[in-house]
Amino acid sequence: MEQTIQIEQALQNIQRLVDNIEQVIRGKKTQIQFILTALLAKGHILMEDNPGTGKTVMAKTLAQSIAGRSNEGGVNFKRIQFTPDLLPMDLIGSHIFDDAQKEFIFKKGPLFCNVLLADEINRASPKVQSALLECMAEHQITMGDTTYPLEKLFFTIATQNPVEMEGTYPLPAAQLDRFFLKIVFGYVDEETELNIYKDYLGIQNNLDHIHQVLSMDEILFLQNETEKIQIHEELITAVRNIVWETRKHADITLGASTRSGITFLKCLKAFALVNGRTFVTEDDIQRITHAVLDHRLIYRNKEAKQKALAAILDKEMNRLSKLKIEG
Amino acid sequence: MSIGKVHNWKKVITQLLLLGVPTIVLIGYMLFNINQYNAILHNDWKMQTLYFTAALVVSIIFYSFRFRFITTAAILFIGYYIAYKVISKSAIGEFDAFNASVRFMIFATLCSIGWITGYGFSRSRYYTIFWSVFLLATQVLVLSKTVVVTAGLLIKAFVPILVYAVYIIYTAELIRNSNNNDKRFGWFILKRMFGFGVLLLLVVLALLQFYDKDFQAIEQEWGGANAKYDKNKSNSESMTKENKDGTLGNKDQTQLSASLNKGKRLVFVAKLDNFFPDGKTPNPLYFTAYYYTKFDTLTQTFETDSLMPKNDLFRPNPSKIPLYFAKTDSTVIKNTQATKARKVVTAEVYKTLLAPSEYVAPSTSFFCQPLPVENSFKEQYKSAYRAKMWVSELNSAYFIYNPAGNAPLKSFQEQRFNVLRQVPDFKEVDPAMMKYYTFMPKDAEYDRIRTLAQEVTKDAKTPLDKIIAIRDYFLGKDEFGQPLYKYTNNPGVPGLPSANKLTYFLFENRKGYCAYYAGATLFLLRALGIPSRVAAGFLTVDRSSKNPGWYWFYEDQAHAWVQVYFPGYGWIDFDTTVPDTETQQSPQPDQTPPLGMQQAYLVADGKVVSVDTTTKMVEMTANKFLFQDKEFTTNNPQKLTVDAKIATVSTDTGTAKLSDLKKDMHITAASFAEALKNLQPTPTDSFGSILARIPKPTPVDEIKIIDEEKAAAKAKKDPFATETSVDWTRALWITLIVIGALLLLLFITPYMIWLFFNAKAKGNEAKGAYLKHRAVMYYLNQLGYFRNNTGPYQYASQVDTQFGTQLSTFSNVYQKIKYSSMALTASEAETVNGFYSPFITQVRNRVPFKTRFSKFLNIYNTIHYFTQPKTN
Repeated sequence: MEQTIQIEQALQNIQRLVDNIEQVIRGKKTQIQFILTALLAKGHILMEDNPGTGKTVMAKTLAQSIAGRSNEGGVNFKRIQFTPDLLPMDLIGSHIFDDAQKEFIFKKGPLFCNVLLADEINRASPKVQSALLECMAEHQITMGDTTYPLEKLFFTIATQNPVEMEGTYPLPAAQLDRFFLKIVFGYVDEETELNIYKDYLGIQNNLDHIHQVLSMDEILFLQNETEKIQIHEELITAVRNIVWETRKHADITLGASTRSGITFLKCLKAFALVNGRTFVTEDDIQRITHAVLDHRLIYRNKEAKQKALAAILDKEMNRLSKLKIEG
Repeated sequence: MSIGKVHNWKKVITQLLLLGVPTIVLIGYMLFNINQYNAILHNDWKMQTLYFTAALVVSIIFYSFRFRFITTAAILFIGYYIAYKVISKSAIGEFDAFNASVRFMIFATLCSIGWITGYGFSRSRYYTIFWSVFLLATQVLVLSKTVVVTAGLLIKAFVPILVYAVYIIYTAELIRNSNNNDKRFGWFILKRMFGFGVLLLLVVLALLQFYDKDFQAIEQEWGGANAKYDKNKSNSESMTKENKDGTLGNKDQTQLSASLNKGKRLVFVAKLDNFFPDGKTPNPLYFTAYYYTKFDTLTQTFETDSLMPKNDLFRPNPSKIPLYFAKTDSTVIKNTQATKARKVVTAEVYKTLLAPSEYVAPSTSFFCQPLPVENSFKEQYKSAYRAKMWVSELNSAYFIYNPAGNAPLKSFQEQRFNVLRQVPDFKEVDPAMMKYYTFMPKDAEYDRIRTLAQEVTKDAKTPLDKIIAIRDYFLGKDEFGQPLYKYTNNPGVPGLPSANKLTYFLFENRKGYCAYYAGATLFLLRALGIPSRVAAGFLTVDRSSKNPGWYWFYEDQAHAWVQVYFPGYGWIDFDTTVPDTETQQSPQPDQTPPLGMQQAYLVADGKVVSVDTTTKMVEMTANKFLFQDKEFTTNNPQKLTVDAKIATVSTDTGTAKLSDLKKDMHITAASFAEALKNLQPTPTDSFGSILARIPKPTPVDEIKIIDEEKAAAKAKKDPFATETSVDWTRALWITLIVIGALLLLLFITPYMIWLFFNAKAKGNEAKGAYLKHRAVMYYLNQLGYFRNNTGPYQYASQVDTQFGTQLSTFSNVYQKIKYSSMALTASEAETVNGFYSPFITQVRNRVPFKTRFSKFLNIYNTIHYFTQPKTN
């Protein structure tokens, strides 16, 4: 009973969190939901778009909303700006000779935090990229003989500029796979943009005075609760079907892996939770399929990129919508 | 030329199986048919089908690669040409070379057709249409060479091609449009093909069933028209065509040459009771079927004319006359106006190939009595009749025969001629008759014939001498001692299509068959004012000394000759056809003639009431008796039970079983029973008293089914004969109504489905929510608001914005019911309960009736609802 109350509370808190972020980031509710989904699914998220669409602000806002002013119960937020000359050491830390102790001590890098904003990840060299992505996968860092575990809550928000831009090192498919979701930030609509212009000072102000809405414990609790979200067998079948179809489709050269399928299920549950539900629905599948799968698939051409997955999804949604209910 | 895959193996195999196999079957069938008509093909249809098959299969496989057609076809044709050259070089002897090259041409043609077809199936989208048209045209060409067109033949010829055409166009398109990467490609095609096959079968069966009567009527009509001319079915010798319509036509030529080999079948056997005064030497007579008295100058056709003056043609239909009952027409004897040298002769005709309805007998017959065939001969002879004729003693076949150097025959004929020389002129003859039988067209062409007639007969005084002069003219020799006229079955044609074929025969070609000689003689005689006509029938050859009085008639004995009218003597036969020096004689008949039947003491004619096949009793209503050769009739048919234990049942086409007798069938039962032998009719006897005296049940030996259905059908048809369009309009209306009903059904289907869904959309629990959701989704879909690429909530929101409804709330609840095991809250349950009707009303109010109506006619929306979207 107590737990139920907590869930109710947490669900309300999520709503508050979304509202909180919306004060700063206007007209991006879906993106906010996706980010929280990745957070609750114990995954990481990759945001892609042109510079200046609010990616970094978004990450900062989120971090501040859960980090809080004081370090009491808040999360530890770090930001790394990726550049071509960045070295792995700059991320994970290095051994420094301590004069006082007369020995080498390990100076932890920015990876030892709760929320990491990896800005413009595709501007760094592949070496650095893989160092980061390995950490994200393993949740620990090994230096020499010692293995240092990362924080319990470790959430990476990576941003990248579109692959076509100059001076970028595109992430290989295997590494892209580490990101649970990839979202395209996109421009806001006309009206929202006008509002932003009218109120840009206020927005700046809001960013500086963001409240902590969720505590670390609450987030960890929600992460655990995610596992308990009810998912109907037919929906699991639907996920299976979509994954299979991507492998069979003529216009997709690389289909989704089994790991992708599992990630898909985790994201579905988290997404349901973010939407204040304790069960997954068709809508969830409809809305996150692209974010989960698009960056994992390799398409034959641009047209296929737009159509193939949509067609597969449409077919599956059609099947689901006509399912008969027993009882 | 680039090589690469166009189709994958699945598609190729599908094409081979679904397009190739039916095509090969049809081509085999057509080749089989064509081989029946074209001697040049040598009845080798299996091999020819194989050529086609090989080319087709190779071509389909070949063109599944990315080969170009023009290049490859050019190579193929060069290959043909080289092979052709090699063959014509290497074959030794003119005949061999010709034969080999003809065979090669056939091979090359079929291979090319197969090759092109393979290409078409593989690559060209519209080829199947072209191919179907080509096949139809070919079939029309083949059919145009057929002599006898029957409904059955038409169906056999065209239905397979039409069915094939629909099939091939449909299937080719189906294969083209289906996705061969689909795992269930084969299953998909199979499913469609099965559905299509069932549909096609139903349509064809329905059509056949529906138009069955019309088909029969058409056949009846054509069959009937056919019967007006003689022997077409049985005779395909040179006379066939001539007998049919009398044309001496260009068109006949191919037909004649093609069918020459076949004319050796037995047509009928006759026992002719005509002997010379010694009583032993048989005196054969020509058997006539028709007289051609009219000549159509436009089409150059000799025709029969039912309005001929002094009509002496007796044409009963033996299959319509009850067994043993005779049909007599004494006006025929009166019309011949022949009193001198005449006698009555009896003939019995046993038919084999001759149609049951046909009647042939020596000149001026007046009596026809169908007879049963003796049991042991029933297999061989289908039916028989007895005929009586008023025969001229001068009409002996020996007398008619062209003697052509046969000295004894000549002197024999001379005796007869002396009798006819007594007729000096035709002054006694009725002027109307004279005018009719000496009619001759007037133009320059016929003037040439007149001149020739005068020239040929300048030394002759009496009409008879003129006839002999004309006969001798045809037998004459030219200045080199060669025969002036020759017999041939292939007389050739004049250069100009419209040229007069008779003058061409008389003055230029001087070759022809009997019809040419008869026609030419007719006009030579008429030019001289001698009344004459052409007789068509069978010439009689006395070949066997074994059975005196029995004659065998083969197809090649079909003949035409001239009859000349001599006052007092009537119509006398003359045959001016020159002997055929090249054709061999018919094989010597050495068969056993059928036994004559016993005397029937009682014959009853009437309708079947009931048949008991176990006790073999037949109950019938009789309205006619033939008792001891005396006929008794009644207007009030009486019941009669006959004992058919030993009876044989027969029809015009052969023997039948007792169980074939059906109620209301017209039958004749004959009895040879000894019990009846001693009963003699008295002058006071009537039908009733006979019935009272004969034993009951009456034992009978012979039951014949009289084919009355045709007569009935004809009688029924006759009133409509002039307005057959009535039937067709009716058919058209019915077709339109059926199509209309189907269309209506198609159009109201969406609405019916909606009514169903709407009616079912009730209930509260999960089930109710489902049914309501289904109805809502169908309704929106039918109105054109498709749910494409949107989730349920998103879709519901769109709908809500459009109509101001509460679908999104319902959708959320529905999702909860569907995917979670949680219980509904009170408000959610309320949503499920109260959502449906307001929603439908709301949407209905927002969408104008006109739009809703038109949207509900749209079957595509319904199909869209029920189909799974494709992934690519």
